[in-house]
Amino acid sequence: MSNEHTELSTQSFVDVHAIQDELDQVRWGLHADGEGSEAAEHAAAEARASVCNLITVVGNETERGAVTSVLDRLSVTNPSRTLILLAQHTREADKLEAEVSAQERSESGHRVSTERVILHAHGEPARHLASLAAPLLIPDLPVTLWWPGRPQFDNPLFDDLCELADRLVVDTDEGFDDGDLTRLLGVARRPKARASIGDLNWLRLIAWRHVAAQFFDMPGMLERLGHIRGVSILHGSDGSTAQARLLGGWVRSRMATVGIEVPLEFRPDDSLEHGVRQFLIYTGGDEGPARFSMNRHRGGRLSTQIRLGDQDLAERTVRLESRATEELLGIELTLPGNDVLFEKALAAALQ
Amino acid sequence: MAQATTTLTQNVLREGLILPRTPDPAAMVIFGASGDLTARKLMPALYNLALNRYLPSGFSVIGVADTAITEDEFRARVEQAVQKFSRSQPVDRAVWQSLAEGISYVRMPFDDQEGYGRLAAELERLDRERGTAGNRVFYLATAPQFFSVIIDRLGASGIAKGGEGWKRVVIEKPFGNDLKSAQALNQATHTVFTEQQIYRIDHYLGKETVQNVLVFRFANGIFEPIWNRRYVDHVQITVAEDIGIERRGKYYETAGALRDIFQNHLMQLLSIAAMEAPPNFDADSVRDEKVKVLKSIHPIDVANDVVRGQYGPGWVGGQQVPGYRQEMNVSPTSNTETFVAVRLKIDNWRWADTPFYLRTGKRLPSRASEIAIQFKNPPHLPFAKTAVQELTPNVLVMRIQPHEGASLKIAAKIPGPVMRLRTVNMDFFYGSSFMVESPDAYERLVLDCMLGDATLFAREDEVERAWALVDRIEAGWASEPPPAFPNYAAGTWGPPEADALIEHDGRRWRRP
Repeated sequence: MSNEHTELSTQSFVDVHAIQDELDQVRWGLHADGEGSEAAEHAAAEARASVCNLITVVGNETERGAVTSVLDRLSVTNPSRTLILLAQHTREADKLEAEVSAQERSESGHRVSTERVILHAHGEPARHLASLAAPLLIPDLPVTLWWPGRPQFDNPLFDDLCELADRLVVDTDEGFDDGDLTRLLGVARRPKARASIGDLNWLRLIAWRHVAAQFFDMPGMLERLGHIRGVSILHGSDGSTAQARLLGGWVRSRMATVGIEVPLEFRPDDSLEHGVRQFLIYTGGDEGPARFSMNRHRGGRLSTQIRLGDQDLAERTVRLESRATEELLGIELTLPGNDVLFEKALAAALQ
Repeated sequence: MAQATTTLTQNVLREGLILPRTPDPAAMVIFGASGDLTARKLMPALYNLALNRYLPSGFSVIGVADTAITEDEFRARVEQAVQKFSRSQPVDRAVWQSLAEGISYVRMPFDDQEGYGRLAAELERLDRERGTAGNRVFYLATAPQFFSVIIDRLGASGIAKGGEGWKRVVIEKPFGNDLKSAQALNQATHTVFTEQQIYRIDHYLGKETVQNVLVFRFANGIFEPIWNRRYVDHVQITVAEDIGIERRGKYYETAGALRDIFQNHLMQLLSIAAMEAPPNFDADSVRDEKVKVLKSIHPIDVANDVVRGQYGPGWVGGQQVPGYRQEMNVSPTSNTETFVAVRLKIDNWRWADTPFYLRTGKRLPSRASEIAIQFKNPPHLPFAKTAVQELTPNVLVMRIQPHEGASLKIAAKIPGPVMRLRTVNMDFFYGSSFMVESPDAYERLVLDCMLGDATLFAREDEVERAWALVDRIEAGWASEPPPAFPNYAAGTWGPPEADALIEHDGRRWRRP
């Protein structure tokens, strides 16, 4: 597979109009061959696919490097305009720097292009970066705010950017404690909330949720779900336990819609690697006891097993994707609006 | 809140999951299990479905063929095939192992009634041991001459009828070779299966790109209002191949371009380009609209509306290639057509008097499948004559392959102090927006069949309407003197008569 990444232009600006002009220039590739050339005319007549605006906030140059590398890979599937905001509330004099660049990436005959603006502010401008970001967005396209790490819920910039964004994307696996989860739920439940919430950790649970739902698609199994007795989740206890909490919260919130309360059992084990290791659903009722189990194995696999009484049914092994951050972000960017299921799972996890 | 005594009517855990419903546990019986299609398409498709969690627990495969191999040898063969042809690499050993546990093999000639008894016993074993609950897919991946006999034996043995669970049959193309044989096959199939149980595959419909044409038309409000005779001058549909017949000479001699591509792929593209919006995406809603298009085709005048051709030696892509008559397993005096161009009219309110030009051919200069909608010129151009002399009409092209996407040809002013216009293309490549791997057409179609969704499969009347058109063209050709083949050089866009067909109407073929 051929893979080519071309940096078309990188220049520094301090004025928003100059940044806008430069964005127009790099968007249509005018720097590549000189304004007015045949190639430039062709570029100007060619439809450019852009699917969204993406804003991300970093705290220092190291984080900026890590985020940039994720965005480079993300651009392959999601051509977008990206704004990277680096706000430094230092005692330095007020200063604002901007870098504008365009990347062109080709892979197996496909070609995608993205534009990127890095805004680096010191002093007072660092508090008002949202006012600079707003005019730099592509009109009519959705705005996603990706906040790596634990969001600074008390930082006014966080509120300003949430106002600007249609979707806030976080990763609750990055050290979120109960306080953070509660604050996140508060953001989702703001009376006039504009931004819906996306969580990369929630996406990591898709395979678990899918396989769990599949158990009860099978003939005769739906009745057993109506007699659910509880769920048990074995998970690594190193770092955030948000993933296990969300999975349990999901079952509890879904069953609550039909008036069933589900007891949750969490079994942390510090000898296990991070994340959910085993997910068990117990049912009872007239059909007799049953256990629906899912186990994560090394190498990105999930095995499933149904035990009815003391009889084991056919076992199955499927893929449990270990997705990189850019893949998860890419999925987030395709999801529509408010994810009520996530919000309810989060609320149930915090009960 | 009560604890766990509610009777559920739906799976509440499924809500919000984008992935489709899981099919019921089932056994898939593949007739022709040692053949090319099973190795290249079916087994890799099943593996990828299993890998991505689409297949239910207990899903099982019974390979049926008359090849003298053991069950272990059969499993080893299909594993090798999956390793070679799967789009996901490397093959995950544990997932494969999990799928392979449900794979078995029954050796028998397709007409051997006793063999069907052994097949029935194997199916019953799977019901007992793997919980397949009487659900069966019979996949006919054999040469067409075996279709009727397999269906007949399935009926006689009782395997396809009665008992618990659903029974479905998948039939590969070609479905017949003319109207009479298609009707006979339909009739034979209906003695055992109802229409709702029959899934006639045209893998073209499983392609993401073809489904995108429907999305493009019916999910964008701006196109439908101008998608009619008032604004459209004509439509060109092209399925061009730069390759020859490869090693398919024996088959191609009996098929030709008319049966190989026109009867199925071109008719499908015509239907989806011309159909009305269905009320929903249900199987019969979509197929009703497609059939209405086929019913509305104006009786064709073969002498004036159809051109056939056969390639001679030439150069394609810098390579010298032989003519059709020099290909392996082809008669040196063959009159089989490798090119067809047809002018059609559709007698309905939307398309009356708007010609559709369809063409397909082998050894053309490039590979391209596309639907091109050419719009009428503006009624009046308020610019000086010199300003617009180079202007060509607006064209909207939906490309199926390669480089799936859409192009809109529009007029733009050439920058400068003088008003001069030029035509420019606005290209949108799906690949540029969504650089992601698409599933193989067979994955989508096999899953749809297991879920009981026949939207992307051809219905009885659809197939027969298409064959009726082919028969009419064949009958017209039979009354003409033998063609002077070869009449186009490999690497050109068909015979001169094809150009004359469209130029007679004051139009020109596009260069895809």
